[in-house]
Amino acid sequence: MNADLPDAGSFRRELATWLNANADTLTPPHDGYGTLDEELAHYKTVKRALWDADFGRYGWPESVGGLGGPSMLRAIVGEEIATRALADASLWTMIEVLAPTISTFGSGALVAEMVPPFLRGDELWCQGFSEPGTGSDLASLACRATPTDGGWLVNGQKVWTSFAQYSERCVLLTRTGDAESRHRGITALFIDMDSPGITTRPIETQHGRPEFAEVFYDDVFVPEERLLGAVDGGWKVAMDILPYERSTTFWHRGAVLHGRCAQLVEHVAESPDRSPTAAQALGQAFQSVVAFRSRSRDTQYRLAEGGTLGAETSVDKILIASAEQELLETARGLLGGTIEFDDGPVAEMWRVDYLYSKAATIYGGTGEIQRNIVANRLLELGREA
Amino acid sequence: MTDQMDHLDADDLAMLATSFESAMAAAPDPSTIDQALFELGWPELLEAAPTQGAATVFTALGATGTTSGALDDVLAHALGLDVSATTGVALPPTQRTTTPARRDDEQIVVDGLVSPRIDTATSIVLAVASDQAVELVRVDPSKVDVAPVGGIDPDGGHRRLRATIAAADTNAETPGGTWPGAVAAAQVALAHQLVASSRWMLDQAREHALERVQFGRAIASFQAIRHKLSETLVQIEGAASVAGACTDDSDPMLAALAKSLAGSAARTASKHAQQVLAGIGFTTEHDFQRWMKRTVVIEGLFGSASSLPTTIGEDLLARGTAPRLFEL
Repeated sequence: MNADLPDAGSFRRELATWLNANADTLTPPHDGYGTLDEELAHYKTVKRALWDADFGRYGWPESVGGLGGPSMLRAIVGEEIATRALADASLWTMIEVLAPTISTFGSGALVAEMVPPFLRGDELWCQGFSEPGTGSDLASLACRATPTDGGWLVNGQKVWTSFAQYSERCVLLTRTGDAESRHRGITALFIDMDSPGITTRPIETQHGRPEFAEVFYDDVFVPEERLLGAVDGGWKVAMDILPYERSTTFWHRGAVLHGRCAQLVEHVAESPDRSPTAAQALGQAFQSVVAFRSRSRDTQYRLAEGGTLGAETSVDKILIASAEQELLETARGLLGGTIEFDDGPVAEMWRVDYLYSKAATIYGGTGEIQRNIVANRLLELGREA
Repeated sequence: MTDQMDHLDADDLAMLATSFESAMAAAPDPSTIDQALFELGWPELLEAAPTQGAATVFTALGATGTTSGALDDVLAHALGLDVSATTGVALPPTQRTTTPARRDDEQIVVDGLVSPRIDTATSIVLAVASDQAVELVRVDPSKVDVAPVGGIDPDGGHRRLRATIAAADTNAETPGGTWPGAVAAAQVALAHQLVASSRWMLDQAREHALERVQFGRAIASFQAIRHKLSETLVQIEGAASVAGACTDDSDPMLAALAKSLAGSAARTASKHAQQVLAGIGFTTEHDFQRWMKRTVVIEGLFGSASSLPTTIGEDLLARGTAPRLFEL
């Protein structure tokens, strides 16, 4: 870290000034949510502008084109972007989830070549972990990588791969050990999504945005220099993603929820015929959002002090999932039929968020899995029956 | 010790916390605890680091399941009055954050609560709502009607306070702080107390679950039990984080949120610990029921998990937006 790095407060102020000055470029051309194509195009514009103005380079090491400094600076950028609703939150998440781990486990040449275009927004990457038979039990994955001349041949199927159909690259977990090898026989590969043999099929979901896809791998050749970490060391790569997923990404997600909460308060404050229970419902939902944001801030500080993140981030995950569901359920109640009956960009935005919130206790480790982790690792309750 | 209070660090606070806890555990009677707190430098701590100091003392109270008059001191300090073991400050009625007294012409009508400080206080300070503002008056304890020790938690010493006093029988005090500021200070202190007692209840349930064998295995091995205890820890950690986020100059809304979340966590801890402790927890052979009853009383002070969300929501609607309250 060099001495020229800004402190969090002045960084935020400078960023806010720049965001306000460049609002014309940075504000999405669409009201509410655009189509995924529109969202992706605008996301790339925002990322590029942030990079060119250096704000997008803080918190990343120089080896990937960054300017150094703590990841907290990235968290601040994410928060300010989310608060102003300048970029799609799910797209924004991908860099925070994938780039740090790839920077750790990729070879020096691979990292230097691949990571900067991702950070600049030139490219999008996706994460190929889940499979039809592999949900909560990740170590059971079956998508196989077989050694071949100069690399691997990959065969199998992934599912719930976010933005696969828009992505240039994928971080893929493959089975390289025997069927019983569980987490000891998994290898992580970095794949070009335009490789021959890859077919993606977007999944129609209840919230109406096809951001997930099924991906089929049919004799897909992956060169050996695309290995991440060690052969049969993929579990370590997967586990390394967790702290990033639960720190900067969560802080960003918390900012999104806080923004929605503020919008809901504005809406209710302006409503002429406010329900008598509106204040209580708002207070209750806001309280859950604040509990999550506070916990997430503690996690940021722990990370900044050099701490490692583990099982205790399951607490963060449970808090954000319950806050999100509570907030959107409260919104449905207080918006007076908007989510159920109305059309147009604002209604559509609330409806998408409402329906998407139902997944908050499913993706990224279900609520049940998180509670198991809390019981095992934090409460040390011994083995489960 | 007093000289060093200006340079408190985490180690000093940890040492003080240990001293407070030992004193409370050794003699759990409120007036003895008050005496020990004053001997250990509690008023100086409150002066040097109001929020952190209160957090230390109230965490110790929660962890030991004891009560004291320390809340009166937090209020006195926040109102800019001298902190003294012989001064009591009346509390709002349960579930409320309003002043415990209001002015009705030449009379002052009191409907509130008192802490166990009432047993040693030589004067009681009342915050009185009038048309203009909140005024403070000091009154002799003999002028007010304090309910006898009783209720759900007689040992805790919190009681109702009711009286109609001639304004002429009171002495006006000049406040150096505001009532909302005092409410916030009390809420943060109580949030720390509730978090600590919730942790105690969870610990008791956890130990019992590991020891109690049914169907040939420890009941801690059953997912129904594990998830109840996990949920309890999650709520406690969320509440603890917000209580810890409160500083001397944070927005009063954050204090209300801390208290509400801590109350909610305490309700969850008390409910799940009761269920996991089952039969033994329902008997007076186990300490749980003492903690549970005390939590019921403390949870109602300065607004509860039932009443505070409405207060917070009204505050949000008045502001017209949701404030961030803290930054990275």
